[in-house]
Amino acid sequence: MTKRITRAALLTALALILFVAEAQIPPLVPIPGVKLGLANAVTVWAMFSLGPADTLAILLARILLGSVFAGSVSAAIFSLSGGVLCYLAMLLLRRILTESQMWVCSVFAAVCHNAGQLLAAILVYRTKGLALYFPVLMLSGIVTGLFTGLTAQLVARRLGRRG
Amino acid sequence: MLKTRAWIAIVAAAALVLGLLSWYTLTKKGSGSVVEIVQDGKVLRTIDLDLVAAEYSFTVECPEGGSNTILVQPGRICVAEADCPDRICVHQGWLSDGAAPVVCMPHRLVLRLKDGEEADAVVR
Repeated sequence: MTKRITRAALLTALALILFVAEAQIPPLVPIPGVKLGLANAVTVWAMFSLGPADTLAILLARILLGSVFAGSVSAAIFSLSGGVLCYLAMLLLRRILTESQMWVCSVFAAVCHNAGQLLAAILVYRTKGLALYFPVLMLSGIVTGLFTGLTAQLVARRLGRRG
Repeated sequence: MLKTRAWIAIVAAAALVLGLLSWYTLTKKGSGSVVEIVQDGKVLRTIDLDLVAAEYSFTVECPEGGSNTILVQPGRICVAEADCPDRICVHQGWLSDGAAPVVCMPHRLVLRLKDGEEADAVVR
């Protein structure tokens, strides 16, 4: 149990570092909501290597603490709605994917995260016009999810070999 | 279990469709000239860009600190200055270039075209 908590805490810290470091990178495209989502790599890896319960704990702790560091309540709302949808997608997909298909899980998770976040934004801002951002944010989810997914997969393969 | 090759095809097809859709939604021209400045879902100001005679600007304060300076010119509007961390709202440029709203996520600010503006214009 102690080992499990320590591992989850370490991974939460790692996810937070990625989250905070990424926030320092200037935005590449002037589209609200487009981001790399490096912390997703931690979540995807945990889902395959540690299982759903630990992953949920890591994800929720990261979202909560990440919002505290980012210093805004609205960030927490968007992050949470995106995170929950992303988690549900991963929960379904991990059953039909092998470990070498981790990137697929990551892609769908990122797409769902972005969709959930935009849905929350439409409700909070009460602006239907934001729906115009759906295609581009889902596309960005595919690209960034592929990147973070392959990262997670690479880590899993290296760690797996050492046992 | 689907083969990896099948997943590659699915993801690539989805990316292609979404790419075409994104191109359409982001280049789509907006209709109407009435713009709403919205914070937290509440309309702060409504401006008819066709009635703007001279350039002016004003500042919108965020309740939790921070502000956006909005620049209004005849026929167009943008966020000229902002102290949010990402400044995406500034980089988005003029609202009149597309139908998609200009958004400052950290300050929960939106510049959007008002719905149903065409009908109003006919009446006027």
